[in-house]
Amino acid sequence: MANRNPKLSRRNLLLGALHGTGLLVLSGCQRVFDSLSRNDTVQSILEAAESGNRRVQRLLTGRAKLAQEFTDKEISPTFRANGNPPPITMEYTADAQNQWTKWRLEVSGLVKQPTSFSLTDLKAMPSRTQITRHDCVEGWSVIGKWKGVRLEEIMNRVQPMTEAKYVVFRCMDTDSDGNNYFESIDLIDAVHPQTILAYELNDRPVPIDNGAPLRLRIENQLGYKHAKYIRALEFVASLQKIGQGKGGYWEDQGYEWYAGI
Amino acid sequence: MANLEVYRHNRVTRFTHWINAIALMILFMSGLMIFNAHPHLYWGSTSEPEKAFFSIGATNEDSDLRGYVRLYGQQLDTTGFLGVQQGALGPNRRAFPNWLTVPGYYSLASGRRWHFFFGWLFALNGFLYVVYNLAVGHMRKFLFTLKDAAKVPAMIAYYLRLKKHSPQEGEYNPLQKMAYTSVFVILTPLVLLSGMAMSPQLNVAFHWLPAMFGGRQSARAIHFVLAFGFLCFTFGHVFMVLTQGFINNMRSMITGWYRDKIPGTEEPPWPASERRPDIARALKEENASSQTNVPAPPAATTVEVEKAQAVPIVSPEAPASASSTEKEGEKDGEPKS
Repeated sequence: MANRNPKLSRRNLLLGALHGTGLLVLSGCQRVFDSLSRNDTVQSILEAAESGNRRVQRLLTGRAKLAQEFTDKEISPTFRANGNPPPITMEYTADAQNQWTKWRLEVSGLVKQPTSFSLTDLKAMPSRTQITRHDCVEGWSVIGKWKGVRLEEIMNRVQPMTEAKYVVFRCMDTDSDGNNYFESIDLIDAVHPQTILAYELNDRPVPIDNGAPLRLRIENQLGYKHAKYIRALEFVASLQKIGQGKGGYWEDQGYEWYAGI
Repeated sequence: MANLEVYRHNRVTRFTHWINAIALMILFMSGLMIFNAHPHLYWGSTSEPEKAFFSIGATNEDSDLRGYVRLYGQQLDTTGFLGVQQGALGPNRRAFPNWLTVPGYYSLASGRRWHFFFGWLFALNGFLYVVYNLAVGHMRKFLFTLKDAAKVPAMIAYYLRLKKHSPQEGEYNPLQKMAYTSVFVILTPLVLLSGMAMSPQLNVAFHWLPAMFGGRQSARAIHFVLAFGFLCFTFGHVFMVLTQGFINNMRSMITGWYRDKIPGTEEPPWPASERRPDIARALKEENASSQTNVPAPPAATTVEVEKAQAVPIVSPEAPASASSTEKEGEKDGEPKS
């Protein structure tokens, strides 16, 4: 009990110094990381990982390989909805009450036969039903049963030209500033067997919150790629002139266009 | 007692160590940013809200914002740190505070960019380290074996000052070996696999990937827990560096050279050739070509040393090791100071 000056012990000095430097380093680091995160050059370097992810992941996945399909028992009690609120236009709400008699899916762009489909037309086409897991970019997952028409089926009818590389999905929902939602995928994913334009969720018409009357299911990518409230498809050769050029509503805000990770 | 300089860390180890340090820090902090987007953990494939076993959140009763952490129904008030922090404009809802995330401001998009870039860097850097050090035999030195497991109690007793002598033989003690080996064999592979198990595209490619963890949400939970495993390891590692000769340890991880104390009576400074198989091999080859005869070390000692993977002491005084010192220095392109 001799040397008991708490202020002068080596341990306390060391701990004090550690605490001080720790705080300094942390606040310094935060400032550095924040300015790096806002720096365009740094961001473009970080974005290099995206094409790596896309190439490596696609290399590892066979073209026809299917996402895991689940059983009826595994379906989540509620299919969580996320993103922009449903469209609130009179046109949309009135049509929703009329079983979408006015709604048409317009298909245009680099196609030989631009066509518009009614919901009845789509339902008359061969359908696919799949129970799959939906993964949100935020981290949560839900399982739902989807029924719809394969995008490849639509492509067979509209005949994309050889220069067409992407499909752009034009949606009816908007954010609080009035910007319309849109998304895009390339034709490799478009012809995947599980890529469907879904009109049924859990054996009922797709609810308003989940994207009525028609939404995309692209089972190898995250939720924000699954465009809801679709009104038109556009086949394009490049995404540069679509929105701000990144290929989607969230992509224009910094999210990856390739959302397979 | 003589101070001898030992060439402890080769160039690849030093380079990958610091890359790894940066990568782990950014991965951890950007990971917390990503977690903040949905601060709940679940077991299984899906995330039914009422089934979260772990949550960080906030309650707002009578406009009194309180942060909490909840684990299996046990709730802990963490206002000020987790869930709710004091911001410039009053209390702010946020799972992990801004000083723990990359970036500090809320941006899931940016957090993901950082995370995936440094995820690649972490994986490729680790690959380079492992391949190189397996090739040169460096990793053998800290491979935790059954023999080391038997010495763990003695090592703990030594640390607790219940025993005077450390059971350490070789460069790394049994607890160090256990820590490093578990990082290499358990933590790193699992953190990479559980991370990849969250990728929808890799789930298509490999259905077993989420399944091996019990579903995608389980993989996410395990990924989160393992991140804190890395944090614990890092704290322990930094603590040991700080307390066991900070300057010496830092120098050895920057220049490669570690200053070792050789208690002459307890441990004779054996020729390096007996202690380092790689040096012994190099010397042997050298001798074979120049046809000089170097006396073979006593058989008994060699066996003992090999078993124990004894401390590679490169003593500038010993003639045999002087040449090997030069060799190491040459190989590395960095002349010894």
